[in-house]
Amino acid sequence: MPKRLYRSFQALLLLGMSVFLGAKAASGQLTFYINQRFIPLTIFGVISLALLAQTVFSEIKRSREREEHDCDDCGHAPAASNLWFMLVPLLIGVLIPARPLDSSALTSKGFNASAPIVSADSSALLFETESEERNILDWLKLFNYERDVTKFYGQRASVIGFVYFDEALGENQFLLSRFVVSCCAADAFALGMVVEWEEAASLEQDSWALVKGAVYSTTLNGQVVPLIEAESVQIVPVPEQPYLFP
Amino acid sequence: MQPATPSRPLSRSLVVFILLAVLLAVFPSLFPAGFFLWLWDRLNVFAVVFLGIFIEAVPYLLLGTLASGLVEVFFDQSQMSQWISKRPIAAAVGGALMGLVFPVCECGVVPLTRRLFNKGLPLSAGISFLLAAPVLNPIVILSTAAAFGWGQMLLWRLGVSLTIAVTVGLIFSVEKDPSNILRPVLTLAHDHHHEAPAALTGKFRQALLIAADEFFEMGRYLIIGAMLAAALQTFIPQASLLAIGGGPVLSVLVMLALAVILSICSTVDAFVALGFLGSFSFGSVLSFLVFGPMVDIKSVIMYLQVFRRKPVAYLAAIPFMMSLLAGALFNYLQP
Repeated sequence: MPKRLYRSFQALLLLGMSVFLGAKAASGQLTFYINQRFIPLTIFGVISLALLAQTVFSEIKRSREREEHDCDDCGHAPAASNLWFMLVPLLIGVLIPARPLDSSALTSKGFNASAPIVSADSSALLFETESEERNILDWLKLFNYERDVTKFYGQRASVIGFVYFDEALGENQFLLSRFVVSCCAADAFALGMVVEWEEAASLEQDSWALVKGAVYSTTLNGQVVPLIEAESVQIVPVPEQPYLFP
Repeated sequence: MQPATPSRPLSRSLVVFILLAVLLAVFPSLFPAGFFLWLWDRLNVFAVVFLGIFIEAVPYLLLGTLASGLVEVFFDQSQMSQWISKRPIAAAVGGALMGLVFPVCECGVVPLTRRLFNKGLPLSAGISFLLAAPVLNPIVILSTAAAFGWGQMLLWRLGVSLTIAVTVGLIFSVEKDPSNILRPVLTLAHDHHHEAPAALTGKFRQALLIAADEFFEMGRYLIIGAMLAAALQTFIPQASLLAIGGGPVLSVLVMLALAVILSICSTVDAFVALGFLGSFSFGSVLSFLVFGPMVDIKSVIMYLQVFRRKPVAYLAAIPFMMSLLAGALFNYLQP
């Protein structure tokens, strides 16, 4: 491939990648892929990619101006296949509609009823939070941290998650789950609270629900996990940030 | 220069096209109805995991290629030989500590190391830089401290990484001829026929152009690696891997395997490792933190761009054994 053509494609791909990441950031879909704490890094990436694109564009212009020294052939262009690889993430990002991880990921990602991500100091703070403001991760942290979980009995919970039916559960029960992402979707794992509700069977797998009720506990696969005796289960739209970030 | 590629006869591509069309038409009926739904779900998981790794790594890769561009433009070989000792041990230790000056993770370190080799960095220093820099640098030290506190885990992570990096650097210093280890650099000679621009803006433009080229050259391997890692994650249930769990040696092996499969950037892996501390011992998690930044799917594929095949095998195998040894030792001493 002649050098100038290589440069043109290169500049377009750099710009395309910058726009792609920028659009993901602007639409809020970035959190489908990475923990929100790394969004500033992606913004840095968007800016540097745009800067690189601009540099390559101006290089093309410069080489056109000094036509006589810079014949197309004498510049040794790197392998053109390098360029096509950069199309892969762009195509995957554009062609496969963005959908956060859901129950279909559970078969490979695994399910974790106890939150291993317990750092003791944050758990101590959790005791002071309003029980209705805790999310699923907070509840599991509390249950992991506290030996005597009966002290939580009867507390009011109001949590959002997606519905997952597990074989280990009883009738009228389902798991209200969230994926927890520390860094990016590659390290995601699912957490869940058991919900007991008379009309559980009427729910669909993967639908998002807001569950309100009183907290008790049960054992699932040999572990003590929180259980909500639901008073109301309300179907809600997918939250803007589908994952929880520890 | 450009060899003309013979154009394929039209009839042959037509046959291939028809065969593909027929295959596509027959294909669906060969599988049960739920198969495609299942495949679509898998594809979705794959896309999210792949883009997760890729989007996470892109800024770090850019940082590495920008650093490499700046080194190319502002460093010359005489400076390198002034700074780096000729004695292998001093060079290896010096190389391992260079990460404190160049804060790069395992994606960024590969192009930078190649550039430094090109500038005449000795093998031992370059290898130990390659292995140690993704851990022994300010960003990773801060993120590890943020996850685990300024304590044992941080200290041992730095210590064990330094030991492994220096050891491997020394082993490689036995080879006197770098061309037996390094792949010949072909594409680095961008614009060599132009005189180096003297003005500062010209130098910066040059550095940015080099960074742009290297972003594509290395990005390619990042993409291949991220796809492999995402495919493994999509089809191998992680839960079954974690369920193997126990045992002082086996649990280290599980953590090492996970470090390779997850392929997460060293700047953020501490937060992930924290999650394993509940179900895995100190030694096993430590081995994850030491081995992951040195060897994972994407970094090995990127290494292949810089080194010949056999050295890459050593670069993966020696850190693997030493991490395993370190992890198992910790598990025996403080179970």
